[in-house]
Amino acid sequence: MPLGDIGAAIGIALTYFTIIYLTGLGGLYSERSGIVNIGLEGMMIVGTVTGSWGTAELTPELGLPWGPLAGILIGAAAGAIFASIHALATVTFKVDQIVSGVVINLVAVGVARFLSTIAFGQATQSDSGQPHMDSIDIPLLSSLPWGLGRAFDGISPMVVVAFLMVIPVWYSLYRTRWGLRLRSCGENPEAARSLGVRVSPYRYEAVLLSGALAGMAGAFLAVEVNLSWNEGQTQGLGFIALAALILSNWNPIRLMGAAFIFGFAQAIPLRLADAPIIGAIPPEFIRMTPYVVTIIVLAGFVGKVRPPAAAGRAYEGSTGV
Amino acid sequence: MTRAKTLARRAFIPLLAVFTALLFGAVVIILTDFVSLALLPTDPVGAISGAVGGVLAGYGAMLTGAFGDPARILAALESGNINDIATAIRPLTETLVVATPLILAGLAVAVSFRAGMFNIGVEGQFIVGMASASFAALTFTFLPAPLLVLSVLVFGVLGGMAWAAVPAILKVKTGAHEVVTTIMMNGIAASLVAWVIRGPLRYEDIGGGFNVNLRTDPFPDAAMIPDLGHLFGIRSSARLSWVLPMAIVAAAVVWFIMRRMRLGYEARAVGASPGSARAAGISIGAVQVKLFLLSGALAGLVGIQQLFADQGFLPAGYEAGIGFTGIAVAFLGQNSPVGIVFAALLWGVLARGETSLQLETDVPREFIIILQGLLIMSVVVTYQVAKRRLFSRQLRRAADVEDLRDAEASVDIERAGEPGPPREVDR
Repeated sequence: MPLGDIGAAIGIALTYFTIIYLTGLGGLYSERSGIVNIGLEGMMIVGTVTGSWGTAELTPELGLPWGPLAGILIGAAAGAIFASIHALATVTFKVDQIVSGVVINLVAVGVARFLSTIAFGQATQSDSGQPHMDSIDIPLLSSLPWGLGRAFDGISPMVVVAFLMVIPVWYSLYRTRWGLRLRSCGENPEAARSLGVRVSPYRYEAVLLSGALAGMAGAFLAVEVNLSWNEGQTQGLGFIALAALILSNWNPIRLMGAAFIFGFAQAIPLRLADAPIIGAIPPEFIRMTPYVVTIIVLAGFVGKVRPPAAAGRAYEGSTGV
Repeated sequence: MTRAKTLARRAFIPLLAVFTALLFGAVVIILTDFVSLALLPTDPVGAISGAVGGVLAGYGAMLTGAFGDPARILAALESGNINDIATAIRPLTETLVVATPLILAGLAVAVSFRAGMFNIGVEGQFIVGMASASFAALTFTFLPAPLLVLSVLVFGVLGGMAWAAVPAILKVKTGAHEVVTTIMMNGIAASLVAWVIRGPLRYEDIGGGFNVNLRTDPFPDAAMIPDLGHLFGIRSSARLSWVLPMAIVAAAVVWFIMRRMRLGYEARAVGASPGSARAAGISIGAVQVKLFLLSGALAGLVGIQQLFADQGFLPAGYEAGIGFTGIAVAFLGQNSPVGIVFAALLWGVLARGETSLQLETDVPREFIIILQGLLIMSVVVTYQVAKRRLFSRQLRRAADVEDLRDAEASVDIERAGEPGPPREVDR
C-alpha cells in the first residue's frame, strides 16, 4: 500500500478532527459546568446554515480570507444564540437536560430549513461552490517523505486554529479562577454555592460557549469542507463528538487524541478502501467504531471514565442562582 | 381527588402547552409576514389586521389540511357514495396514517420513562426492527399470508428487543448510563442497517434500465398488511391499514401492564422511588430490564405502517427521526397511553397541515417544524413549572400540619402517580 494513501487519509482525518474536536470542546465546557449537552448536533446544524449564509453575504465585501472567517464567526454566534434555548430550559426552568437536548436537535432541522428559505430561497441547500479560505501548507510537515506530507498539504487554516484551541481551553479551565469555579459547578454545585459561587451564570456561560464552538464546527464544515450548505451534512458528527468527549474522560488534551482517532475512522472508507485487511471490512463497520468503542469504555470493559459528578442534575438553589 | 378532577389536572398541562405554542407560533407567522410588517409605519391598522388575518389563515389552512374541507365532507356524506366520502375525508385518514407510528414510538418512550429510565434509542431499535422484519418478509416467503405477516411482526419485535437488550443489560450489570449507550446504539444501528441493505438484503432484480435506489427487494404481497378501506368497499386504497387498530391495542396493552399487572406496579414503584422499591423487595435491575425490553418491542413495530402497509420495501437511509419524535409525543401525552394516542394525533395534524400551509398561504412550510419545536419546548417547560409549583405547595401545606419528614413522604407518594421524565435511579 502506498504511504501516500495514508498521508491522504490523515489529511481527511485532520478535517474530521477539526469538526469533532471543536464540537467536543463545546460539549466539554457544558458538561464540566454540569449541563449535559446532547444538542451538539443541533447546534452544529444551525452553525452550518448561518455560516454558509454569512460567507456568501460577506465575502464580496470583505474578500478572502476575511469573508469566510466572518461567516464562521457568524456560525459560532448563531450556535451560541441557539444554545441559549438549552441554557434557558435547563438552567432557569430546570427542564430535564436530556429532553432539552433532544428538542434542540429536533428543532435545529426546522430552524435550518427556515433560515435557508430566507437566506437562499430554498429549504435544503445553498448554491454550491461558495468562497472559502485559501488552503495552506504546513512548513516542514508538508515536505515529509513517502507521500506522508500530503496530509499537511493544502489544508484549511481552521485546522490549525482547532489544534491551537487546546491552549486557551486548557488554560481557561485549569489555570483561571473562572475555570475552577466552572468545574466546581459541575462537580458539586451546592458546595460551590456555599463558597459564594453563583452557579447559574457559570452554567449559562458554559452552554453558550458550547453552542459557539459547535456552531463554529458546523460553519467550518459548510464553509471550508463542503463549500455549501446541505441538509444533513453533519451526519451525526455531533454524536461522535459526544463519544469522543466520553472517551477523553472530559479532558481537553485527551480529547485531541480521541477526536483524531474517530476522525481517522471516518477517513478510512474514503481513502484506504483498497488497503489490505482494513479494505476488506465493510465501510459501515468502520464508521460504527466510535460508537462501539464508547460503549465498551462506558461499560468499563476497558479503562474507566468518570463524568462530572453533577452533570445532568439541575441545581436546586433556594434563590435559583 | 375525584376522577374528573385528576383528569382535568392531567389534561391542563398539555392544553396550556398547546395554547402557548400556538401563541408563539402566531408571533413567528407575524414576524415573517414581511408584507404586513412593511405596512406598519404607514398603515398600522392595515398592518395589524393583515397580520392577524395571516395568522388565522395559516392555522385555518393547517386544520383543513389535516381534517379535510368541511363543506366537501358534508356534500359527500349527503351523496352517500362511500368512495366520495373516502376521498373527502382523505386528509383525515392521512393524518391517522402519520399518527400511527407515533403512537407506537410514544408508547415505547413512555414505558421506559415509567421505570425511571430514558430510552433515546427508539430510533435505533426501530430501524433494526424494520431490517429484521424485512429479512423475515424476504426469507419466509413459503408461508401463507397470515403467518408471514405474523412472522414479520414477530421479527420486528425481536429486532427492537435485541437492540434494547444491550443498553438494558449494560445498565444493570455495569451501570453504563442508558442515555449515552442508546445514543451510541442509534449510531451503530444506522451503519448496520446501511450495510444490511447494501449487502445481504440488496435489491437484486434490477432490470429494464431502471435507476433503482439502494433498497431491498420488494416484499411479497403476502407479507403486506391489508388496508382498512376494503372493509367498507372503498376502491382506492386509503393507506389507512390494520396497523392503526394494532397501535391502539398496543396502547391498551401498555395500560393493562402498567395499571393491572404486577410488573407495572413494580415499574412505577421503581420510577417513583427506587429506594422504597428496593426496601419493598423489588429487584430494580430485573424490572428495568423487562421494561426496557418492552420498550424495545414497541419500538420494533414503529416502521410497520410505512414499510408493510405502504412502501413495500426497505429503502437505504431509513432514519425518519420518528424515534425522537416519540419522546415529544410521550411528553405531550404525559406518559399515559390514552394521552399518547391523542398526542400522536395532534402531531399528525401538525405534520399534515404542512402541505396545505404551503399551498394556501404565504407561511413557509418549515414553520410547522418550528411550531412542533415550540410545542415540545412549551410542554416540557410548562410541565416542569407546574410540577415545581405543586411540589412546593404540597410541602407547605403538609408542613403546616405535620413535620417536614412526613410531608416529603406524602409528596413522594403523590409523585408516584405523576407522569413525567425519569428520575435518576440510585444504585
